[in-house]
Amino acid sequence: MRSKLSLAIGVGAVAFIIYMLVASFYIYFIAVVSWENVAPRFLSSRVLGALFIGVSASFIVGILSLVVGVPFAYFLTYRDFRFKSTLETLMVDLPQTFPPVTVGLVYLLLLGPGSPANIAFTYFAVIVAKFYVSSPFMVGFAARRFREVKAKGLDLIARSLGADVKHLLFWIIIPLSKRDLLAGFSLTWARAMGELGATMVFAGIIPWRTEVIPTLVYSVSQTEPYTAVAAAIVAETLSIMALLSLRRGVKERQ
Amino acid sequence: MKSLRLENICKSYENVRALDHVSLRIDAEEFVVVMGPSGCGKTTLVLTILGALKPDGGHIFVDGEIIDDLPIEARGIGYVPQDFGLFPHLSVRENISFGLRVKNAPRDIIDQTVDKMLSFVDLKQLADRRPSELSGGERQRVALARALATNPSILLLDEPLSSIDEATKADVRVRLKAILKEAKATTVCVIHTPEDAFALGDRIAVMNQGRIVQVDTPSELLRNPKDSMVKKLIATMYV
Repeated sequence: MRSKLSLAIGVGAVAFIIYMLVASFYIYFIAVVSWENVAPRFLSSRVLGALFIGVSASFIVGILSLVVGVPFAYFLTYRDFRFKSTLETLMVDLPQTFPPVTVGLVYLLLLGPGSPANIAFTYFAVIVAKFYVSSPFMVGFAARRFREVKAKGLDLIARSLGADVKHLLFWIIIPLSKRDLLAGFSLTWARAMGELGATMVFAGIIPWRTEVIPTLVYSVSQTEPYTAVAAAIVAETLSIMALLSLRRGVKERQ
Repeated sequence: MKSLRLENICKSYENVRALDHVSLRIDAEEFVVVMGPSGCGKTTLVLTILGALKPDGGHIFVDGEIIDDLPIEARGIGYVPQDFGLFPHLSVRENISFGLRVKNAPRDIIDQTVDKMLSFVDLKQLADRRPSELSGGERQRVALARALATNPSILLLDEPLSSIDEATKADVRVRLKAILKEAKATTVCVIHTPEDAFALGDRIAVMNQGRIVQVDTPSELLRNPKDSMVKKLIATMYV
């Protein structure tokens, strides 16, 4: 009985591993077997354009997430108020589970044609759409680490020595959270790079203007599959690199 | 250094009364140990004096002036927690100079004070080390030097000997007392082991269930314990 259960668990685990790894790496296999067709597409102006827009917009999203997320994580860590956990759920958890296309639709209605601040189908729209979906990763990483620092009581000691919020944040909390903030930045950037739904609805798919790698893959997957494969390879490789840097950062802290 | 007076301090957590009308007077330069079993309210008392916890009632006076509404950073009270709380990313020198740097003290004053404190706690040769490279006793001395460098009016120590291994404890205890006597620090020190409390305190305040049950010199406590809990604590020293 026990051995049958062990066998079932083993089979289930192997099937799950195959399912996940195939989805993650099959695109590399396709690229290798179709290398002659895929290779020239890496340098096609459309892929490079989507890459530039995606990388730069995601980088801006990462920086904005740091600028906004760090003070907000500090606020969540050091201020106690009613409905704090509800606010945290709304700000950190909900955006990660909210359907991105819905977010795109909300921004389209709020900041699209007909709104006084119409930024739909522009580079700014790419940033706004990606920011909503990605910034919670930064807040989550920062708040988790800030709470660890607080649990050690270092804030009390610093304050007993005369430190105000500025000293506490820039001399103690941020230096002790550098690796976590870097990891949060990597994850935010990778999430922004892969974001499709909100960007597609709010920024559209305008080559060399709002088209990013995921929307390029979506729009050419039927008509230009080799271009789609090249773009997907670029996006996935960048994600893996971001994940590796995140792992390294977390490991070094441990 | 200044005197400290606690007047009817009360603090409750939901239904638990952690501090029950605690009153205590500590003279300038006096070393008072607050002793009692785990959960008796010792750490709550220290955190209330520090300003990290707001009391439900009562007043705290430093040299006769009420400090109830002052935030931690304005109280001028030095604090050394149980694990010493050294900033792990800063060297010994940077840890000690922290309080002076946040107060924008001139560079030469910072250097002079840090050198003086390093000599004072006998750690000059370790000035550039990180806390992770120090022993428990060395970390304790860095934490004391850091707290004393800003010339606090009162010094609060929370279980300063609990992270010290038994082999070096007696030596660390003697050294701790000598440093604080020389610094003329008005000190409130929380300790749960009677041996350490009797070795360190000018006076000992025994706490039980949020109340101070007796405050006396070590010899008077030994001679005349007024409470069954005090008798029990003293008895553990001779087991």
